[in-house]
Amino acid sequence: MLTNGSKLLLAGTTLAAVAAIVYGVTQDGTLGVVGLLSAAIALGLLAGIVIATRDGNVSAMDEAAAQTAVATHVAPEGNIWPLIVAGGAALVVLGLVTQSAFVMLGIGLLLIAGLQWMVDAWSQSASADGTFNRDARARFAGPLEFPLLATAVGGVVVFSFSRIMLFLSKTAGPVGFVVAALLILAGGFLFASQRSMRSTAVAGLTAFAALGLVAGGVAAGLDGERFIEEHETTGLLGEESECDTTDETHADENASQTVGNKAAIMADITLDAEGELTSKAPGQQASQRIVVGRGNPSNIIFHNESDEPRRITLTTGQRPLLDEEGEEIEGQTTPDQRCTALAEEGGSQLLTFRIDKRSAVADEAFELTVPGVEGQAIEVVVP
Amino acid sequence: MLAVGAIAAVTLTACAEDAPQDTWQPEGENSTRIHNLQWPVFAIAGVVGLLVFLAIVWVVIRYRDRGQPIPKQSHGKPALEIALTILPALILVGVAVPTVGTLMALAETDDTECSVNVYGQQWWWEVEYPEQKGCGGIDREFVTSGQMVIPTGTKVLVSGTSRDVIHSWWIPALNGKKDMVPGRVHTVRTQADEPGIYAGQCTEFCGLSHANMRMEVVALDPGDFETWKANQLKPYAAPEEGSIAAEGESAFISQCARCHVVDGLDDGGVNAPEQFVYSRTAPNLTNLMTRNTFAGATFDLLTDECRERVWEATPEEFGERYLEGVTPECLNEVDLRAWIKNAPAMKPMYTDGTKLGPTDGRSRGMPALGLNDDQADQLVAYLLERN
Repeated sequence: MLTNGSKLLLAGTTLAAVAAIVYGVTQDGTLGVVGLLSAAIALGLLAGIVIATRDGNVSAMDEAAAQTAVATHVAPEGNIWPLIVAGGAALVVLGLVTQSAFVMLGIGLLLIAGLQWMVDAWSQSASADGTFNRDARARFAGPLEFPLLATAVGGVVVFSFSRIMLFLSKTAGPVGFVVAALLILAGGFLFASQRSMRSTAVAGLTAFAALGLVAGGVAAGLDGERFIEEHETTGLLGEESECDTTDETHADENASQTVGNKAAIMADITLDAEGELTSKAPGQQASQRIVVGRGNPSNIIFHNESDEPRRITLTTGQRPLLDEEGEEIEGQTTPDQRCTALAEEGGSQLLTFRIDKRSAVADEAFELTVPGVEGQAIEVVVP
Repeated sequence: MLAVGAIAAVTLTACAEDAPQDTWQPEGENSTRIHNLQWPVFAIAGVVGLLVFLAIVWVVIRYRDRGQPIPKQSHGKPALEIALTILPALILVGVAVPTVGTLMALAETDDTECSVNVYGQQWWWEVEYPEQKGCGGIDREFVTSGQMVIPTGTKVLVSGTSRDVIHSWWIPALNGKKDMVPGRVHTVRTQADEPGIYAGQCTEFCGLSHANMRMEVVALDPGDFETWKANQLKPYAAPEEGSIAAEGESAFISQCARCHVVDGLDDGGVNAPEQFVYSRTAPNLTNLMTRNTFAGATFDLLTDECRERVWEATPEEFGERYLEGVTPECLNEVDLRAWIKNAPAMKPMYTDGTKLGPTDGRSRGMPALGLNDDQADQLVAYLLERN
């Protein structure tokens, strides 16, 4: 007679053996086949041991006990897990032909339900005493179930919260969360002010708050996120070859103030009060040229000492013009540019760039210029 | 016996004469500073270590178990504990004062008179001389690799960075180590007192051929440095028409110019190392034969005899011998041909096209070009004229 434990192991043995055959026929390589066959052999061996020891409940030599042991006659109670396993399997199949998310969900359900089913089956046949069996199940499964459940609940709360935050407008957001914080404060005050509260009241209030949060999250998620305006950046100006503008951009003026990069600069480029542009590399004299390494990220700091906001623009010849799909338009070029945001009077901006081309063979000189300031340029030499 | 033999063997390595990376033989101002700090620190540490060792041995022997009764146990001896706290603190303070002073002196770069940029990449160093008034005046920037040539008695500002992973620039005879980090520029001051070659080694593990990433600083008298500099800036000389070298020029354009640059050979097709090499660059070969080494200073361009003649020259002879460069008689043609034909067989590099997915098909190092003997002959002839 097959014992409960051996059924699982025999099923595992069969599954691994079938998987080894399927893998061997459909896939190249022997490693997978060897691995699966090893699993089949190991599971088969374990199944044999479990059958021989009658699930470890009675001595294999005790024939009488083998007939009367709990493991041989306690029938498992009915439970819902087979249904959920079936649902998980259906989701996997559905996902294979629709969306991979269903596959992941199905696998998750299969794992959870399969594990729960096994634990239930084991605990229900642990002894003839139902109370002992329920305790045994709780001791075994509790340490796993509670953290997982808490993680899942926490995830739902955080996700719902995030949907609500993304739904609320920039101005409504703070108001909404001030109200939420006040409600939590009021709830806490209510709990604390009572000498005693019925546990059902606490549970009811908590459930009500949780339901409200989840419902709000679902509603907000279905309605979609608020409109988030795409800000124009200096990178966009470069992409569109519009670095020659003297207009303000919406770019974060502090975005390029990376301390690490500012500590590793190739040169300081200064536009002085007279409108003269000069470059000063560490250890070298001021000049109208800078040498930067080919194919190497380089940082320069632009200091604006003039009386108007200015940006610095690097132009490295021409590049192919791209259409809306990012494909090159044959025969059409546009200036290859990078630039900083506008530097305030007396302010500075960092520009990081990398040039892969040699300047000696370029059609046009590589230059750093300040839009709006005529006749001033720093030649960029790439050896 | 085995342990004694091992200790003796390790100790005897200190007696090696051919040890160009010996940290105990400073040849420049900064390395002398480091040397003047490290020997007293070693001496103090040695004396302390010896005293501790002797104390342990004395205690072990004096109080070994001879069946005597266990002495009365007591706790604490304030005078001894205070003394053993104050004494190490005083020693540490004594070491810290000159250490901090030396560190601050080593970090000083404001007094440099010449500026050189170095770029580390797997597994070689590029050396760039920007336009400047220092270094005797440089009107037009130029690039070399493997060897950094500097004038003697001149404080040189070495500004370095890396194009791929972290490397470390270290010429033991001239200065301490300085990490070269992608996206950052680190500086170190270098000065050589005497003409000569000072060997170095990348000292930050940087991948497969880290052990083969070497470099050398060549110090020349200011006059010889001017000669070397003028030679680096001379115009491109095309090979004589119809010669093997001329065929080599064509082979270079078709095979090598995709990655390597020879200044003046600007019609040599598309030079786009960024498409083929992960570090986006390859050594500039304009004046290859003015260097003594190639492939990240891993191999000599000179035969053993000629190399010895340069390395063992006296300071007075050195400049003249170095400036002779690599003559046809002195060329180590065996290694150069082997490198041209199958570089990965000589130096481990990531060049297997089937395994370059993580670098978008770009190799790290020079791939095997599959050249035949005739092409190798032509290229060697062409490169021999890059002097």
